[in-house]
Amino acid sequence: MPGIDMSGINSHAGTAAMVASAVDFDAWRARARELLKAGVHPARVTWRDGSDVCDDLFAESADAPQPVIRNAPAPRIARAHLQTLQRAARYRPQGHELGRWPLLYQTLWRLSRGDETALNAADATGAEVQRRVHAVKREAHHMHAFLRFHNDVETGDESFIAWFEPAHDVLDLGAEHFADRLGNARFRIATPQGGVEWDGERFTYHASCPVEWHARAQAAATADDDRTLWRTYFVSTFNPARLNHKVMTQHMPQRFWRHLSEGDLIPALEAKARHGGQRLAQEASVGERKGKALPPGRLRRDADA
Amino acid sequence: MELIDKLSILADAAKYDASCASSGAPKRSSRGKAGVGASDGMGICHSFTPDGRCVSLLKVLMTNFCLFDCQYCVNRRSSNIPRARFTPEEIVRLTLSFYRRNTISGLFLSSGIIRSSDYTMEQMIEVARQLREVHEFRGYIHLKAIPEADPKLLEQAGRYADRLSANVELPTLTSLKTLAPEKELGTIHSAMGQIREGIDAANDDARADARHPPRSANPKRQAPRYAPGGQSTQMIVGADATDDRTILQSAQQLYRSFRLKRVYYSAFSPIPERPAGLPQAAPPMLREHRLYQADFLIRTYGFQAEEILGGPGNLALDIDPKLAWALNHREAFPVDLNRAEPGMIGRVPGIGLRSVQRLVELRRHRKIRFQDLVALRCRLETLKPFVITQDYRPADAARDSQRLRETMTAPEPAQLALI
Repeated sequence: MPGIDMSGINSHAGTAAMVASAVDFDAWRARARELLKAGVHPARVTWRDGSDVCDDLFAESADAPQPVIRNAPAPRIARAHLQTLQRAARYRPQGHELGRWPLLYQTLWRLSRGDETALNAADATGAEVQRRVHAVKREAHHMHAFLRFHNDVETGDESFIAWFEPAHDVLDLGAEHFADRLGNARFRIATPQGGVEWDGERFTYHASCPVEWHARAQAAATADDDRTLWRTYFVSTFNPARLNHKVMTQHMPQRFWRHLSEGDLIPALEAKARHGGQRLAQEASVGERKGKALPPGRLRRDADA
Repeated sequence: MELIDKLSILADAAKYDASCASSGAPKRSSRGKAGVGASDGMGICHSFTPDGRCVSLLKVLMTNFCLFDCQYCVNRRSSNIPRARFTPEEIVRLTLSFYRRNTISGLFLSSGIIRSSDYTMEQMIEVARQLREVHEFRGYIHLKAIPEADPKLLEQAGRYADRLSANVELPTLTSLKTLAPEKELGTIHSAMGQIREGIDAANDDARADARHPPRSANPKRQAPRYAPGGQSTQMIVGADATDDRTILQSAQQLYRSFRLKRVYYSAFSPIPERPAGLPQAAPPMLREHRLYQADFLIRTYGFQAEEILGGPGNLALDIDPKLAWALNHREAFPVDLNRAEPGMIGRVPGIGLRSVQRLVELRRHRKIRFQDLVALRCRLETLKPFVITQDYRPADAARDSQRLRETMTAPEPAQLALI
């Protein structure tokens, strides 16, 4: 069996409950390695996010160094599996869901014992890990798609600011993406949690976003002159004859609408399409303009041109 | 005319092109460089209009003045619609502004034919040239190829664009003759052939580069790119009497002859100033959807068009084409998920390609049970008659296909209302 030497563990592994804490993935990884080496079963560990109070009255702290088992090999898992766990750790569990660290430790425990099905979507734990990986990937994609930059009024041209509310920890994934897109232009991204600045060369991360950025992002969105152009484009590119509310909301969840400059147009466009606009593909305001049929002309072939 | 009015008219005129993909471009980044834009092969939908279609690119016509009189087209010369024309600089300004705001990932530029095919193509190339050379734009560019234009211009277009497309619009010669008298299928095909050759040659050069990397890291020394995102086309569905079988067979032919990345199917939407003979009905969206499903089976599941539709006619609307094929080929089922080839598992209705991959991976470690299909969230009601697992055999394996189809398409039983 790859990974861990079982013979050395059972004799040392106690039965008392333990509390371990981790603030981020690297801290969790370090703690989890020690616990694995000491052969501590997942059922015995209560994980904390680092900040909250102890929630297991009878537990001893595992943050104190564990008795290191002599000659126990360091647990090993495939790099790809580690990346999967790292992705899943970005998921922010809701109140009723299993916390991120206990889920990861359960998975790691099985993987380190050679149980590869622990990450397969047909396994109960594997399904949950894969679901989280998928949700994180989707949220990063949402950020790439639905974040909107506006010229930062306070710093002038070639500098942008955006407000975004990610459901999972994907701020850095978004920031990397936008540094590729915007080149030398500077930008700031503000979220309800963290914030990041890009000065054209490097990132500065703020664990909690500077308060005034939110107002600045709002001011920038309101002052943006090209907002009307984008709204005009959105109205014109919509085909009222193909109204399809379900598909639209599947791909663009409503929680994003209020931060899109076109968001408030959607209900109005739908209502108009339902009340008669659905007969034609053409946008009504374009149809009301003066038209012009052209006389039959002759296409110049290369010889005449 | 103000820029905003032009945008309103020329975006409205361009919406009949279904394609808005920004995927398949090579990896490009502007980090630490002058200019703007990136691509990583993944498409991004920056918004969705209430018709459920993705907004990925700024999709506009350069002009909707047109010398052609294609009956199905809103921009045909005899149509009494407002007309406008962008200058190249205006399109460049809109593209860069929208791109920086992160509302688009690039430009999709098409045009009505003005003056001559060559002149029109030159103007479109000028937009792409300015974006790439003057503004160092590294986002996505999709250019419409005008089939009648000089091959030299197509060659030039492919150097700037990630994707080129020439639209077939109508898949048969007769339909094209009656509805689009100025277009010629032969010309469209030869343009597609030329684009394919350009792409193939660029790929050969790139492979040669990979074997013997040039000494200089200067990208100009490397093999020039040519439409690295491939080419696509579009067919209109429901404007004439062409059936799905003909459409699918021409699509398959196009995939084979010109190695197209995609064929788009666009349900005919009623247009203002409708000429006689064209439908005024709502676009046949379910039919379009079934065609996309069938197209997907051809592109990724290894189905042949002839397998999907054996005789003349249209795809069934009440069931999807994969289920229809399975019901017509009961002799191939049930499939034992613990033994079958992956390709055959992929033919089971209700099991998608991702699940196939996961099942094959899983059965290396242990036997597959029915519960696994539940966990993988496959469509259980659909696949039940077609699979065998370690702990499951279909009870209705002997039931005839007609009755099976009836049970599958039966409406949900509803409680009677009290009077």
